[in-house]
Amino acid sequence: MSKTILVELSDALADAAESVGKATVLVSARRRMPASGISYTADLILTADHVIEREEDITVTLADGTQVSAKVAGRDAGSDLAVLKLERAAAQAAEVTKSPARLGQIALVLGRPSTNGIEASLGTVSAIGGPIRTGHGGMLEKYIRTDGISYPGFSGGPLVAADGTVLGVNTSGLANGAALTIPADIAWRIAETLAKQGRVKHGYLGIRSQAVEIPNFTQKALQRAQASGLLVVSVEKDSPASRGGLMVGDILVSVAGLPILHHDELFARLSGDVVGKSESLEILRGGQPQTLDVLIGER
Amino acid sequence: MNFNGTLTQVIHELVEQVMPSLVIVRGRRYGAGAGIVWAENGLILTNNHVIGRQAPIVVLQNDGEYEARLLARDPDVDLALLSIEAARLTPLKPASREASLRIGELVFAFGHPWGQRNTVTRGIVSALGFAQNRRGDTLPIVRSDVPLAPGNSGGPLVNAYGQVVGINAMIVGGDQSVSIAVSVVNDFVDKVLAKQAAQDRASQHTPADVL
Repeated sequence: MSKTILVELSDALADAAESVGKATVLVSARRRMPASGISYTADLILTADHVIEREEDITVTLADGTQVSAKVAGRDAGSDLAVLKLERAAAQAAEVTKSPARLGQIALVLGRPSTNGIEASLGTVSAIGGPIRTGHGGMLEKYIRTDGISYPGFSGGPLVAADGTVLGVNTSGLANGAALTIPADIAWRIAETLAKQGRVKHGYLGIRSQAVEIPNFTQKALQRAQASGLLVVSVEKDSPASRGGLMVGDILVSVAGLPILHHDELFARLSGDVVGKSESLEILRGGQPQTLDVLIGER
Repeated sequence: MNFNGTLTQVIHELVEQVMPSLVIVRGRRYGAGAGIVWAENGLILTNNHVIGRQAPIVVLQNDGEYEARLLARDPDVDLALLSIEAARLTPLKPASREASLRIGELVFAFGHPWGQRNTVTRGIVSALGFAQNRRGDTLPIVRSDVPLAPGNSGGPLVNAYGQVVGINAMIVGGDQSVSIAVSVVNDFVDKVLAKQAAQDRASQHTPADVL
């Protein structure tokens, strides 16, 4: 029988589900329904934080049906990600996408909610957004939404491109139960931090601030178009900001070269690997740009 | 990749290939469901739950209405086989027993959801599982993300080749659409036809043969 383009597409989707399915595991760490996970190395499983309800007696069921016990290597409620370490290296690692998700792209929502095998639904990438505040004091720089169905037990599973690479990690734990996908580059970066240090450190400056407009002539002095910045309204004593020389009345306009227009952007810049590092903060003082080096503390 | 026409064209051709075999099965008291022309001599396959107590009406694509004869029904697999006095119909081919469905492959459902005639919906195979019937037997089923609604029952779920891979039935409910696997359908039809053939042979016996 001749293979039409429809058959080729169908085969490609089934191939993608099969190959990523080998790296999609079942995570049993809560009383009710188990959930899904992605093996990102042979002995590390990336999953959703909210499906880990106990830290003892966690089992991971691999694609071939073998059960391996696992321990929590790190978890972060803010990004709803957790990393489990398998008792022995046994999993097949997933392949991550080289090109980020694009609007309109076809994607499979994959999971392993039971020992009966993988399950999948088809969708398209319908929105790429961010940053958004998540429920637990976290901030997600970027997220993906699809119109694929997330079946029960899909949290922690992968969003899969038609070429069989992972676009991100699906979870219903970040947006009031609605399904959302953490892009793979962000998820893998957080996973690495979690595997190394067990948690995500959140940066601390020690300022209160308010978003304010930057007048046109000041934008000229800044030599770029930036409509707003953060006016510092108080600086805490002995905080990283005060040690770095930040003063009330300064307008913070960038951190480490990235413009800061709103609180959310500052929040996003301060989470991740900046803790303990000296970063250059660009401010407007008396209408003139200045740069201060500030050693970022930990919240 | 082999571009035998664009994707849209190919989907259109698949619809044209399947649609002639789609029928309406109307019970006397309940709403209507869907059915499939299974053989060109007038065999029609549908869900058992679509038909009521009396023989149903079958409406073909050319709007021809036929009073159907009920050949067999089995609530345990939710299937029924009907016969209408019509010839040279266009039957739909079931996928071969060997062809195994794969998670992620494209499927299309044909039917009349909410009475909207000749509707096609698309999705993929979500899971291959089992459902339990009233007797406690396990029945192989195909779960998919294809949107189904009342009126889809009895209609075909076809693969990208246009072959039947399941009969749509909403026997289980939940958020996944459920279709009865084609292996169950093949077994049901084979059993009914074998019994039918045996009866036909028996009725052909003349009194002389009996002596």
